[in-house]
Amino acid sequence: MKIIIAGDGEVGFYLSTLLAKEYADITLIDTQREKLSSVEKKLGIATVLGDSTSYSVLKGAGIEHADLLIAVTSVESINIATCLIGKKLGAKFTIARINNMEYLVNKDTLDLHSLGIDELISPESLASREVKYNLKSPELTEIFNLYKKDLYVMGLRLGDDNPAVHNTIAESTRILSDNSFIIVAVYRDGKTIIPNGNLKLLKDDLLYFVSTEAGKDKVLEYAGKKSVQIKNILVIGGSRTGKYIAMRLSKEYNIKLIEKDYEKCNYLAKNIPNVQIVCGDGTDVNLFEEERIADYDAVISVTGNSETNIFTCLLAKEFGVKKTIAMVENIGLFEYSQKMGIDTLINKKMAAANFIFRHILKERVLTQLYGVDAVIQQFVVKKNSKIINKPIKELNFPEDALISGVIRNGNGFITLGNFQLMADDEVFVFSLPQSNKKVISFFK
Amino acid sequence: MRFIQHYKFDTFKMIFKQIGGLQIILGFTMVFPLLVSLIYSEFYSATGFFLSGLICLVMGFSLYKGLRTFYEPLNRHALIIAATGWISIAVMGALPFIIIANITPIEIAQQFVPAGAGYNSSIFFFKNPLHALFESMSGFTTTGLSMAVHPPSIGKGLLFYRSFTQLLGGVGFIVLTLALLGQSSGKVAYLLYGAESTGERLSPSIITTARSIWKLYIGLTLFSFTYLVIGTYIILPGYSLSENIFGSINHAMAAQSTGGFSTLDNSIASYHSNAMEMLYLLPMILGALSLPFYFRVIHDKQFSQFWKNLQTRSVIITCALGSVVLSGMLLKSGVIPDPFRTGIFQFISALTTTGWQTSNVHLWDSGSVVFIVMAAMIVGGAAGATVGGVKIIRVLLLFKGLFWHINSYFYSENSINVVKFNEARLLPDEMNKELARVATFVFIYLIFIFLGTIITYYTMPHGFTIKDALFESASAQGTVGLSCGITNPDMSPGLEITYIIQMWAGRLEIIPVLVLFRTILLGTKPKVV
Repeated sequence: MKIIIAGDGEVGFYLSTLLAKEYADITLIDTQREKLSSVEKKLGIATVLGDSTSYSVLKGAGIEHADLLIAVTSVESINIATCLIGKKLGAKFTIARINNMEYLVNKDTLDLHSLGIDELISPESLASREVKYNLKSPELTEIFNLYKKDLYVMGLRLGDDNPAVHNTIAESTRILSDNSFIIVAVYRDGKTIIPNGNLKLLKDDLLYFVSTEAGKDKVLEYAGKKSVQIKNILVIGGSRTGKYIAMRLSKEYNIKLIEKDYEKCNYLAKNIPNVQIVCGDGTDVNLFEEERIADYDAVISVTGNSETNIFTCLLAKEFGVKKTIAMVENIGLFEYSQKMGIDTLINKKMAAANFIFRHILKERVLTQLYGVDAVIQQFVVKKNSKIINKPIKELNFPEDALISGVIRNGNGFITLGNFQLMADDEVFVFSLPQSNKKVISFFK
Repeated sequence: MRFIQHYKFDTFKMIFKQIGGLQIILGFTMVFPLLVSLIYSEFYSATGFFLSGLICLVMGFSLYKGLRTFYEPLNRHALIIAATGWISIAVMGALPFIIIANITPIEIAQQFVPAGAGYNSSIFFFKNPLHALFESMSGFTTTGLSMAVHPPSIGKGLLFYRSFTQLLGGVGFIVLTLALLGQSSGKVAYLLYGAESTGERLSPSIITTARSIWKLYIGLTLFSFTYLVIGTYIILPGYSLSENIFGSINHAMAAQSTGGFSTLDNSIASYHSNAMEMLYLLPMILGALSLPFYFRVIHDKQFSQFWKNLQTRSVIITCALGSVVLSGMLLKSGVIPDPFRTGIFQFISALTTTGWQTSNVHLWDSGSVVFIVMAAMIVGGAAGATVGGVKIIRVLLLFKGLFWHINSYFYSENSINVVKFNEARLLPDEMNKELARVATFVFIYLIFIFLGTIITYYTMPHGFTIKDALFESASAQGTVGLSCGITNPDMSPGLEITYIIQMWAGRLEIIPVLVLFRTILLGTKPKVV
């Protein structure tokens, strides 16, 4: 599979990194020589210098044989032009990054597909969607659906008051278990553990669950979290992400948005209805007191600076805000910010990459979790496989990997130890990178 | 130095050239009353219109073709052209009154008086040029105050001419000139258009905008005409058909332009019919709605505008509420026999600045007079219509600004409070700018009414009080045309001139008039401090 990525920005680089692990033939196009040479050193992929809207540059990158063209420069019009030209020159599938909500809302007006753009992604919009989902169940650190509305992945941090602390998983789940959820990963002290029943849970563990729709409430009950109602939200930072968040959420919540730049404030005030815009510095403690930050149920910090966002969220925690969400673009900071107690992290690049993996490529590796090493992979059980019609606990499945869910006849199921796989089941596997090879061979 | 003098001279040439254009159009429009005079065999009136038209055309063409200029008007020139242009129109428009009053023999004039009426023809009041100018200004500015004590006695030709001046003045003479001559460059057209009316572009070019406005305007007038003819026929089957048609065409023009001249002795009250008064409410309200609104509804087929358009909505709501309140106040005072009939008709007549009168306001109690002045005559109808007053949208903006100001105390001081007004979201800076502009205008408007009231107070005859002075001044300023009796041919010339200035300033929304005064007093050089 040949993939061409136009634009070596944050999103482009992150995508190249992820895709380079899976596919051999990746070409990156950018106009800046220094950036490209550093990419070549770090990832060892092919690069082409030049403007991605130029025929010769695209041809130089081998567009005639490309299976996938992803245009993710920061300029929307370049992305669209690149995809249009690339499609005509022979790219099989094209993805353009856009900034303008108009394209997403009125997709049908233009009929972009017939023009030559197969898919649109807007990292900012995807990030804001993650925020929206998350605010629906604010007790969780993370939530997304694995399969339609049947299977969910949920993240949750254990607190002091939790009955499960100091018990093993087997002990603690027995009370509740009716095959509606399973613990698939535990993140503790910077390490990811794929648990078996004998693992003892500790305070501050970050647990990942896979659950059915009905199991969502069970998970919360298990974790003993009091349900939190969010009504008032403070958004800090009026960049595109902040704007989308405000726009998406303004119908359901009371929103105040703080932005430093006066011109930007005016622009936002003019264009977003039902959101109160405040002009001020998001790191100013006095401003927080003035704006009564303690009255807010949630603080979402999405300025362009990851450190500022982390700091602001910590400050908000200090003031007693129940839910904090920080946009952290610097992946290296994930571990520390989670340790320091920020409830939820969002990352535009990962949002975009996950969207591409999950919904467009539909390949084996589905998704990456924030700060956690484990990946989710999807396999189909073959007809003559030796693993069917046996309980999972007797399969001798690799360590550091866990079969966590199954889609059978269009319905999602949780797979505990007594579950028996059948032919044509689609299986979700949580695994650490070191056991990847074993897992893959298991399904061959 | 030579250059500066040359430039100055050229400014005048340029202004006069534009005025020449207006005169040409005015000259040609005299054809219509001329024809009406001929239909009614009023040959002296016909001669009067022919002579006036000829004078206007000769003057117009000599100015328009005679003056060569290389300069195009700038913004300030546009305002000066609007102000002087309107005076020139009023002055030249007074010619038919003067000429006809002087050439019509007394026996012929006496034939105009309706049979059985025991008064002399009012036509001879116009021998005084000031009265003629007053009538002309009142007509073109769509005010409706009149020197013709008994309107029917001036002849059909002049009656038609009076209503016709209101039709022409309603949308604006400059808009008409732009539509017909279509000669100016886009920039000049835009400046002139903006100077005369609170204009809105309906299509990319101003010339086509002016033409669409006129088409709509004539269309609406024809609709009112048909409506009135049929309505009158149904309500008063015994009424003579030729009188019905003549009355309806004149009243349709006076209603659509919100002018309020009538062909009858006691205006709409002459029909002595409650149903007729109700019939006349619709044309008045139609005249008070903005032409761009009609354009959106009729041309763009946006029927949602009926409830979405802020001005339309508020004009209708204000009509309903104001009528009820005024009726209640009149009922309480007990001085009027039919408080509800009077209250409804007079409030709508005042708010739409039409000025048809069915009641002697002089008899009203002070409370009702002050209410109708404040809530109707000063407010006026929708901007973009032919109404006077400060326009309802400005009043709404001031209220919005007030609430915005009070609300802002409840927000933190860093927050940016957007105002939603008329489908637009205004930033604080924009709102402040808008508020400043509107507040300045409303302030100067009130000052003009105040000065007019004071002058009236010291020059009015005995028997009138300060509330009458306020009413009469606000009526002239708002181009309403309701009168409590102060305006008549015996009024002092000083007061007459005051009202002429108030009507003129009120029609042009004052600022062009002030720019003209400033030019006369200080010249066109900017003042640097």
